[in-house]
Amino acid sequence: MARLRRVIENLSRAPEDIRADNLRHWASTIEGAIPLADVEPRTRVKVAGVVQNIRIDPRQGTGAVEATIIDGSGYVVVRWLGRSSMRGVRLGVGLVVEGVAGRSQQGEPTLLNPEYTLIPGPEHG
Amino acid sequence: MSKVQAALKRVVLGRPMSSGELEHTLLPKVIALPVFSSDPLSSNAYATQEAMIVLALAGAAGLSYILPISLAVATLLTIVVISYRETVKAYPAGGGAYRVSRENLGMYPGLISASALLTDYVLTVAVSMTAGVDAIVSAAEGLAPLRVELAIAFVVLVTLANLRGAKESGKLFAVPTYGFVLAIYIMLATGFVRCVGGCPQAESAGLDLGAGEAITLVLILRAFAAGTTALTGVEAIADGVGAFRYPQSRNAATTLAIMATLSISMFLGISWLADHTNVVYVHDAEGVAHQRTVVAQIAAAVFNENFMFYVVQAMSAAILLLAANTAYQDFPRIASILAQDHFMPHQFQNRGDRLVFSNGIIILAVLSSILIYAFDADLNRLIQLYLVGVFISFTFSQWGMVRRSVRLKPSGWKRTVAISGFGGTVTGVVLLVIAYSKFSHGAWMVLAAIPVLVYVMRSIYAHYSDVRAQLGKPERRPTDRRPGNQHFVIFVPHIDQATSRAIGYTRAISPSSVEAVTASPIESAEWNRLAPDIDLTRLNGNGSTVRRLRRHLVDRRATLAHDDFLTVIVPEVLKTRSVLEIFRRPGLHRLKAGLLRARDVQVLDIPVVEEDIDPEVEATHEPARNYAIVLVSGVHNATLQAIEYAETLRATDIRAVSFGLDPERTEGLGNDWLEAQIPVPLEIEAAPFRDMGNALVNYLRPFASDGTHRTITIIVPEFVVPTRRHQLLHGQAALIVKRHLLFERGIVVVSVPYHLD
Repeated sequence: MARLRRVIENLSRAPEDIRADNLRHWASTIEGAIPLADVEPRTRVKVAGVVQNIRIDPRQGTGAVEATIIDGSGYVVVRWLGRSSMRGVRLGVGLVVEGVAGRSQQGEPTLLNPEYTLIPGPEHG
Repeated sequence: MSKVQAALKRVVLGRPMSSGELEHTLLPKVIALPVFSSDPLSSNAYATQEAMIVLALAGAAGLSYILPISLAVATLLTIVVISYRETVKAYPAGGGAYRVSRENLGMYPGLISASALLTDYVLTVAVSMTAGVDAIVSAAEGLAPLRVELAIAFVVLVTLANLRGAKESGKLFAVPTYGFVLAIYIMLATGFVRCVGGCPQAESAGLDLGAGEAITLVLILRAFAAGTTALTGVEAIADGVGAFRYPQSRNAATTLAIMATLSISMFLGISWLADHTNVVYVHDAEGVAHQRTVVAQIAAAVFNENFMFYVVQAMSAAILLLAANTAYQDFPRIASILAQDHFMPHQFQNRGDRLVFSNGIIILAVLSSILIYAFDADLNRLIQLYLVGVFISFTFSQWGMVRRSVRLKPSGWKRTVAISGFGGTVTGVVLLVIAYSKFSHGAWMVLAAIPVLVYVMRSIYAHYSDVRAQLGKPERRPTDRRPGNQHFVIFVPHIDQATSRAIGYTRAISPSSVEAVTASPIESAEWNRLAPDIDLTRLNGNGSTVRRLRRHLVDRRATLAHDDFLTVIVPEVLKTRSVLEIFRRPGLHRLKAGLLRARDVQVLDIPVVEEDIDPEVEATHEPARNYAIVLVSGVHNATLQAIEYAETLRATDIRAVSFGLDPERTEGLGNDWLEAQIPVPLEIEAAPFRDMGNALVNYLRPFASDGTHRTITIIVPEFVVPTRRHQLLHGQAALIVKRHLLFERGIVVVSVPYHLD
């Protein structure tokens, strides 16, 4: 009966919610990382998330690359200036980032030119 | 898609899985065995019988050859399995005949193997479904008239199971496969025990066949050829190494060995019992009533038709119906590999909602259903077509292994050369035997189909490489455009809200020139009230509206510079938010289709849904913000041209957007974009459910376009190839985009065709 209830529950849930659950679970396994929803401006943070969106703007200087990472709780925009290649950043990859949080002009939580390491995301190796 | 449709799809096919869940669909051995071995194991249900049909032509004397022939088939199976274990070890990523022969023997052997496999997978489905229905009919003879309908119904059922995805269907297939093996072993054991004091006799024992034909070598060879059905699934495991859990090669090699042991013991056991219970099996012979299958007769004799008889029949039917699953695993996989190598339409690479290659699955279902229908679900006729393909791929792939070992000389290469060389020679000889002995019985159809398939795949490849070359050519790179390079023609069927929107949109863009054209009797005074700044030209002359408009556009185009864009705007008021709207207005649809092929003319749709119309709003006012979004799939000339087009629109904001349907490729796209120094920002947005339409709609939501204050122009680069059949080889991105955005407020879609020679 419990199993049946779970099946029905899963059927009625949006696939996006199930994905968010998986992401939260994955992010909780990374040591020292705080949930993205808890990122406060002007504090030093360590966070982890999966790349959901990449924005490349070749017009600004030598090229700006932005990656929006998500962990099921919220999002943060990671921004690098002056890049001529992606150096491993692609959709679905896991990103562990350490730096001082800020806010962009649009009010988005942002980390500028932070240290980062690439790790396998929960969805892609 | 409506909510009800979505819920229904979820119940039938399961929830959509995000791309990352792929890892979870890898199979452990205990599941992989039934998934990949149901085909070779199930063929035991009819392999003996098919050999006996041939032998029975020579009467009782002929039937006495069944045991030696079965031994020969078992030996052949052993040779092939030993040889394939080498292949599996050498190709941990999956070494189907196609990959092995293409890499080592060249393109044509590779394509021949691929075509052979594709035809054979279709036949596997048709043959297994038919044989399964035969087993059911043997137990419930009342169903005999519904054979074709039953077989096709089962095709549909297995298709649905496979659209759900590999692992779930794996569990589904474990029960019948293991059940079948167990049931047959129980039948064999019981039979052997009862034979101690003289074997029980089959219902057909002593059936008089008369003298029949003489026993010739050809007859023996034909019987042997029929018996080799037992070998069909070996290829499937080699092809599917990628679906195994790690360590993939070792697990696949072990599974092969287990499969061969089970298959050989069952096959020999059934043949032995058929011989000793004196089954006499003939196909459609005069004066003999339609018989039950050989396995059914043995089971009936051994168990005296107690409940175990029904268990054997049920399990035979179940495994046969599900054996087709092997083909469902492998046909789509090989189709996707071929698509990746540009030999089949790229659409076969797309994984569906459940991470399976949906397009391949559906094609397989359709083709095999056609075969079942055309051959009236007659097993004996279908089986004549079978096996040619299997042995072609066996032979090519083993010789490929020989070539590889000689070239690379890995440790133990001499052993591999010996094993594969011997195996390749034996299967080559068997191939000739099968082709020769079955040629006039139907094998010619397959032998004729393979060259056709090879030719088609070769031309698809040629087309794709030609397109790639043209898209990358620096001298075909579009030139820089400025807003001054844009010219509009507004087509006015009526004066309505959509026309007003079109005028407002035009004012926002302010192109170098604007004119309105009409084929309807529109009063000049009425037009001047609406847009005094735009001239209205009447399309006079003969022919349909489409032809008159096209002639006008061609004339107009001729007066423009080569660098200029000419855009025709088609406003339309839609009655409802339904895709059926397209059918309700075939004239307008035809108009747009006709214009797409007019060279160097862009078509821009301005649809307004009736219920969105607000009479209070002056629609001819220009929208304050106009976003231009270029959809990008790669950095090439067609994309560059679409960006140049966007540059002419005086947009508030221009950006390029790509949807990461395949995350692996997104890093390369980013690098290409940075390197090409395209002066437009690119956003790569994840589409974790690989549904571009929905990802696009979600992406656009924050823009809150309403058509009066904020408008979005979606620019879709589109390839136009000279021939219509080649158009099918290109993703229908523009179509998908239009289908999803047609009813969104304030969004206009324009395709910028890039003409290829």
